Amino acid sequence: MEYFVQAASLIKKYGKFNAVHNFNLKIRAGEIYGLLGPNGAGKTTAIKMICGLLTPTAGEIYVLGKRVPDGILARLVGYMPQETALYLGLTVHQNIAFFGEIYGYRGQEIETRERALLKFIDLEKFADELVINLSGGMKHRVSLACALFHEPKLLFLDEPTVGVDPELRVSFWNYFDELKKNGTTILITTHYMDEARRCDRIGFMRNGALIAEGVPAELLSYTNTDSLEDAFLIFAKQDGAL
Amino acid sequence: MKLYRALAVGKRVFRDVINDRRTLLLIFVTPIISILLFGYTFGTEIKNVNVIVVNEDKGVFNPQLNVTDSISDKIIANVNPQTLKIDYTNNVSDAVNKVQNGHAYGVIQFPSDLTSEVYAKAQNSSYTEKAPITVMLDMSNTEVARSISSRFNDAVSKTVDSIGVSSALPVNNDPIYGNNFKLIDFSVPGITTFAVFAITLELTLVSFVNERTSGTLQRLFISPLKESEIVAGYAMAFCTIGTAQATLILAVAIAAFHITVAGNIFIALGVIILLVVASQSLGILISSVAKRELQVIQFIPPLTLVAFLLGGIIWPLEAIPSWLLPISYVLPPTYAVHGLRSVLLKGWGLDKIWLDILALALFEVVFLVLAMWELKRWEA
Repeated sequence: MEYFVQAASLIKKYGKFNAVHNFNLKIRAGEIYGLLGPNGAGKTTAIKMICGLLTPTAGEIYVLGKRVPDGILARLVGYMPQETALYLGLTVHQNIAFFGEIYGYRGQEIETRERALLKFIDLEKFADELVINLSGGMKHRVSLACALFHEPKLLFLDEPTVGVDPELRVSFWNYFDELKKNGTTILITTHYMDEARRCDRIGFMRNGALIAEGVPAELLSYTNTDSLEDAFLIFAKQDGAL
Repeated sequence: MKLYRALAVGKRVFRDVINDRRTLLLIFVTPIISILLFGYTFGTEIKNVNVIVVNEDKGVFNPQLNVTDSISDKIIANVNPQTLKIDYTNNVSDAVNKVQNGHAYGVIQFPSDLTSEVYAKAQNSSYTEKAPITVMLDMSNTEVARSISSRFNDAVSKTVDSIGVSSALPVNNDPIYGNNFKLIDFSVPGITTFAVFAITLELTLVSFVNERTSGTLQRLFISPLKESEIVAGYAMAFCTIGTAQATLILAVAIAAFHITVAGNIFIALGVIILLVVASQSLGILISSVAKRELQVIQFIPPLTLVAFLLGGIIWPLEAIPSWLLPISYVLPPTYAVHGLRSVLLKGWGLDKIWLDILALALFEVVFLVLAMWELKRWEA
């Protein structure tokens, strides 16, 4: 089986504080993997280490068969940070085009790709609008478009639905399903347990460690619960946290 | 209006300030530093100005005392040694050459018959002196030139009083640089340098703190962009902005005030570009210590104030106390303003401002390397 992400015995310490410890993760090619947990569980720290934005205190990470950090990965992975991470003083078009340019796209290629992305996120009419004037949900969609410009094989999405209204959250998950259909592997972090049902597999994180992992239906069946929130609480209790 | 609600808002604002040590430091330390720097620089007497004396005065032999009496020696003895550092030479053109090359600010030439003519005038008030004292000054630094003139005239007056000559000695002024320099000629290079430095620093600081806090820098680090490319991109943008800004200031100054442009304007713009790159790299470097935009805004006044007071922008380095001069020498605007002033007012070329260019280039290399190193070690 081909794994796009393999993290082994990851530790990240800030002084005496263990943000992540003994973290192991394997993500298969073509799946949507959800990293779930409450705020402060270490999800963002874990995803940033896997992306290469943070250096682990210990442990090793392989992404697409390359040991992180590796310059070649820059063209193969996409990242959407928790913040909308856009240039507010630029228009939607200027933001998207900028991210195209830094990936080496030029002229007509940028136009074609930008048109497709604007259609995908349903913001074709707002191409010339300054990002600062957009609603929060629209900004999130533009942020996703920027992360997708170079058609990454592996997409890291850090809390992409935080602060997004329920209707847009559904749209976002439809986007993710469509990306998966086109062969993109996705690692997504979220603390919304309900939406994680749409992942192929999920991992529960608490206090910097992965406390359970599996297919959502299996986890529900194992804990004999109807919601992933209840399942999480049972695993947290078993872990000795509650 | 309810007082308790207003009090609650006031307490909240106060706590916000108290909780941020950096803000506290800036609130209380910045004004103290500002007033001390201001007091120690502005209004301080200009000191250690190099002046070359060409003393051709033969003097008059006094048989009673068996000594040669020399008015020029008396004048020199009355010059305040802290203000003017006097060096001697016999050749006027050598002395002028030294001023032209920036090694001194003025030449004082005493004519061969000075003493005999002064005594002749003392005995016969209708006697007309043929050879006056000649003072040749570099007028490009108006404050320094004014200080030399003033101190020299003081020494002449004191000498005249001491020997009991009723009339003043004739002094002929012959500027080496700047026949009709106005204060604006001296100020424009300083103001241009300051505007470019302050605005580039401010824009880079704010833009880069935004990159860090908005998450865009994380995106850039995940992309194929290298740290050097980010810094180079910023440098390209700010060089264009800085050059446009400097061109505009100079164009307005030329059109409105007819300022002196003795040298090559492109060399002047080159100096500005070097300053811009050094300033934006410094901005990237400093942005790493600020966690929010407010903190970075607080950095700007003390940084620009130090550059304004100690960089020779409007007050010459010669007036800055020697214990503060090391700070002046580690400020990029010090070299930019000197280079710019030399090109615009004295018409100097690259052969004469190479030291300023070298210093600015060194600042650039050091700040660029440090900025890239800081970006490399930055963790999102």
